[in-house]
Amino acid sequence: MNHLDDRVRKEILDSTEDTPSTLKDDIWNHIDQELFQTKGRRKKRVKKKSKVIPIVIAAAAGLMILFSSQTETGSAFIKQIKDLFVPEKEIIQSIEGNEEETNVNLQEGKDSEYIIYIDEERYKLVNGKDSDIITTKEPLEERYPKVSMEIKQFKDITPEEMVSTLETELAAEYTKITTETVTEPVNGYKLHGISGSEWDSPVTNVYVVDNLNGGSFVITEKYFLEAAEGHGARFYAMLQEFEIIE
Amino acid sequence: MNDDILAGIRNGSRDAFKQFFDTYENYAIRTAKAITRNDEDAKDAVQEAFIRVYRNISTYNSALSFDAWFYRILVNECYRIITKEKKNTPVDTSTIENNAQLTEHSKENLSDLYSMIQNMADLYRIPILLKYIKGFSEKEIATILELNQNTVKSRLFNGRNLLKTQLELLEMEGSQ
Repeated sequence: MNHLDDRVRKEILDSTEDTPSTLKDDIWNHIDQELFQTKGRRKKRVKKKSKVIPIVIAAAAGLMILFSSQTETGSAFIKQIKDLFVPEKEIIQSIEGNEEETNVNLQEGKDSEYIIYIDEERYKLVNGKDSDIITTKEPLEERYPKVSMEIKQFKDITPEEMVSTLETELAAEYTKITTETVTEPVNGYKLHGISGSEWDSPVTNVYVVDNLNGGSFVITEKYFLEAAEGHGARFYAMLQEFEIIE
Repeated sequence: MNDDILAGIRNGSRDAFKQFFDTYENYAIRTAKAITRNDEDAKDAVQEAFIRVYRNISTYNSALSFDAWFYRILVNECYRIITKEKKNTPVDTSTIENNAQLTEHSKENLSDLYSMIQNMADLYRIPILLKYIKGFSEKEIATILELNQNTVKSRLFNGRNLLKTQLELLEMEGSQ
């Protein structure tokens, strides 16, 4: 069989090697043009919106309160804030190299302190006592490690203090820990913890976001290695829609 | 993939991306040419795969094999282009596992081994191309094609047996 292997390898390599030298240049020129020569313009077009509701929207919400009925309650105010965001929209997310159009639905976080759009075909948001958890709509089989994204606010702990605490916690759980500042999918810190390289090795990503009021939002993603480009990418896309309500 | 180059790409460096391109283009073009069976389609697939890598590098998990991630994107691009082309050609019915008609050799002139491979059903052809062009392991091919490793093992085994049988037939015909 070794002789056959050598023969197959040689045949395939011989048959695919006559690439004209101009082909490589053509490909690079196209890529260069697409990614780097038009980068300034492109960047401007996709510039990320603010992660906090702009003051003008907050003011608009205030005016809505002012001119609405006298029986307005706190929940009505929240409803109006919520109404400023479309209840459902379509996002394009990259799943394993393919762009996928996904419908996402608006959801309020705990005490309406943030909003996020959820891919409700696959996930659900569970409002807990201290935090909210986004998890798979259908429970995973027992052989799969936990898959979830928890969003929790620590009102009195700054992002820097939070990162320090989390690094210690993750170090006790994982063999490899990294910390970096990120601008995507949120502005803040990202801590990454992993042990092993098996398909089911647990992975934790923790994002720490400044709540702009002296505290932090901590978003903890848990999945397993093989799900990095599935659930991991879907969590990433949902998190891009995360907005703090001041 | 070199960590420095990867970090450079993450930071949007054109130089780092060019280094990555220079390192990967040769085998990427070979693979795309072999899968699409068409130079122009291969060019489109390779271009798009590199562009997708740059735009989606933030979703790459460094705990996974970069090569497997890159080739998954490349193979998906090739599939996308092949599928688009197939809209104007008859449907390939030979992609069902255990189908007795594993090749369409009766319609083609299988005078050499490469033609034999290129006339096999994609089911066997793609794993074979990935194995022999880039030397990917069964585990890596399974990751690239999103298949169970045992499935890949079985497809490679059956594909090689098929080639072996066809070569023997060809050699018998030649000796008569």
